[in-house]
Amino acid sequence: MRRSWVLAGATLSAAVVAGTAMFLSGGEPQASQVQRQPPPAPGDPLSQDEVRRATEVATASSRAHMASGRIELLYVEREDDKAQDDRRAEAYLYDYADDALIVRTVDLAEGKVVEESKGRGVQPPPSKREELRAAELLLAHPKLGKGVRAEYKKASGRQLRTAADLQLRGLIFRDAGACRTHRCVRLFVRLPDGRFLDTSRIVIDLSAKKVQTLEW
Amino acid sequence: MFVHLLLAGSLAVSGAPLARTAAAPGQPCSAPYLIDERLPNGARWRLCWEMRTIEGLTVGRVAYTPPGHQQVGVLRSGALAQIHVPYDSGEPRYHDIGSLGSAAVALTEADCPGGERRGQYTCVLTRARGHAFLKDGFGDPAERRSAQGRELVVLSAYQVGWYTYIAEWIFGDDGSITPRVGATGSLAGTTTAPKHGWPIGVGRKHFEESHSHNIFWRMDFDIGGKARDVVEQYDFSGNRTKKRSMIRTTLTRETKALNWPMRWWRVVDPRVRNADGHAVSWEINNSGSAEYRGPSDEAFTHSDVYVTQYRACERLATMNPSPRCRTSVDAYAGKERVKDPVLWVNVGFHHVARDEDADPMPVHWQGFRVTPRDVTARNPAASAGPSAPPQ
Repeated sequence: MRRSWVLAGATLSAAVVAGTAMFLSGGEPQASQVQRQPPPAPGDPLSQDEVRRATEVATASSRAHMASGRIELLYVEREDDKAQDDRRAEAYLYDYADDALIVRTVDLAEGKVVEESKGRGVQPPPSKREELRAAELLLAHPKLGKGVRAEYKKASGRQLRTAADLQLRGLIFRDAGACRTHRCVRLFVRLPDGRFLDTSRIVIDLSAKKVQTLEW
Repeated sequence: MFVHLLLAGSLAVSGAPLARTAAAPGQPCSAPYLIDERLPNGARWRLCWEMRTIEGLTVGRVAYTPPGHQQVGVLRSGALAQIHVPYDSGEPRYHDIGSLGSAAVALTEADCPGGERRGQYTCVLTRARGHAFLKDGFGDPAERRSAQGRELVVLSAYQVGWYTYIAEWIFGDDGSITPRVGATGSLAGTTTAPKHGWPIGVGRKHFEESHSHNIFWRMDFDIGGKARDVVEQYDFSGNRTKKRSMIRTTLTRETKALNWPMRWWRVVDPRVRNADGHAVSWEINNSGSAEYRGPSDEAFTHSDVYVTQYRACERLATMNPSPRCRTSVDAYAGKERVKDPVLWVNVGFHHVARDEDADPMPVHWQGFRVTPRDVTARNPAASAGPSAPPQ
């Protein structure tokens, strides 16, 4: 017996899960205090100011491609290389046209990129923005999008307005087909009534801007 | 404006900075990222924590001070390195990291009983861990020895799809470290063939699919600093014999190691000695792993402990996010000489659902133990703490 998966039809089967998920994990509320912060100690996470400066430096050479949507900044992490005494940040950028990850290491004291590495077939976890974009592609799919909207309506009694109405979590998928080289995401979609859509066979190819369904 | 927009995206993770106070001289991090806890028996743990975008909760610069002794550095860093979730029918197969930093669950006061929340996503607490020791006095109350132990816990939780993972780093007042993850939340709720699942709900209609959680931890040991650390594997020969002999194997090169009855490992710094002149070490054991072994394209599941030479860009056990490095731990463990060891511990749990796993699913734990071996010349807690025998 196979899973009760309804792909051929226009609906998505929703797994009967009354989840108690809490997806709203926004930023911390201390932004107003940033100005008076003492300098970070070596083991501290990046400060908001450091993230801002690293972002500015790391994206300077990619502005045009970022504006066109070809390159996207995924996130900025503290580099935790114990061989380095300086505070450094790593900016993760993805080039969808080239299907390559670019990691730019920024020395925060010098305010410049001190190392850049670029490679294909390397996929860091999807960013929040990518999760949202994947959901938009899913909603734009003629059959699957209709299915998601119907399930949302059933769960909430309301029409789905945008992808942001869905509670999303994305994981990279790279096991088959074009996804071996493209940036592909598998989404978990939680509905307002706590059920999750069975999306395990749906893969959203962010590089090709396509939705595929897996056969197994 | 452009940078502001980018920044909004970059900070949309749980790791957005908290208000800091300046770090005290000699401290590696500032409040609220510094944890410095003296437990009732006098044992002290000092560490830094960070909520990283990819790995989530990370502990760093972990140092232990046994009661009445000097502080010794143990770990440069410790973090989750992957949660691999293959389902028994063969599909799907998830790699749940996942930007754990943005999947962190806001914790309530009730999630952190008696403890202190650092920001919304991390809890620091202490709790009882049962008997530290118990020895009968044979009728002489002055000879009777009994003490209750306590432990420091640093925890965060992540919502990854229907699952909630609670990740704990437990630091015992006996010098032990227990990294563990509890899976709770909800079952996937998908059905499968009877041979791949277990009937839950009424009757025999819904066979919930069995699956594994193969969890990897990355631990960079730096015992008394990063130099000189060596990893040894211990085995005990003798199968169906009365005698057993100890066999020590020094892992001078990168290694993919398997669990084995009675086998354990230790990270030792031969130049850091206790008062008896024995080298200070921490032992890795007791994973209780289900030892899942996947197909050839999941070679990272084929070993239980990997020892690799430190490389900053080797962060995850699979799906490693660095173009400069290889992508999985089985590839990191080549033939390189190990001068600064990193240990990767793979602990599997095979979850065959049961009726009791109905929502909210009871937590099931998996992890392993890191225990001090010859860090002190005696039991450092023997005469310390409020539960010590009356004078």
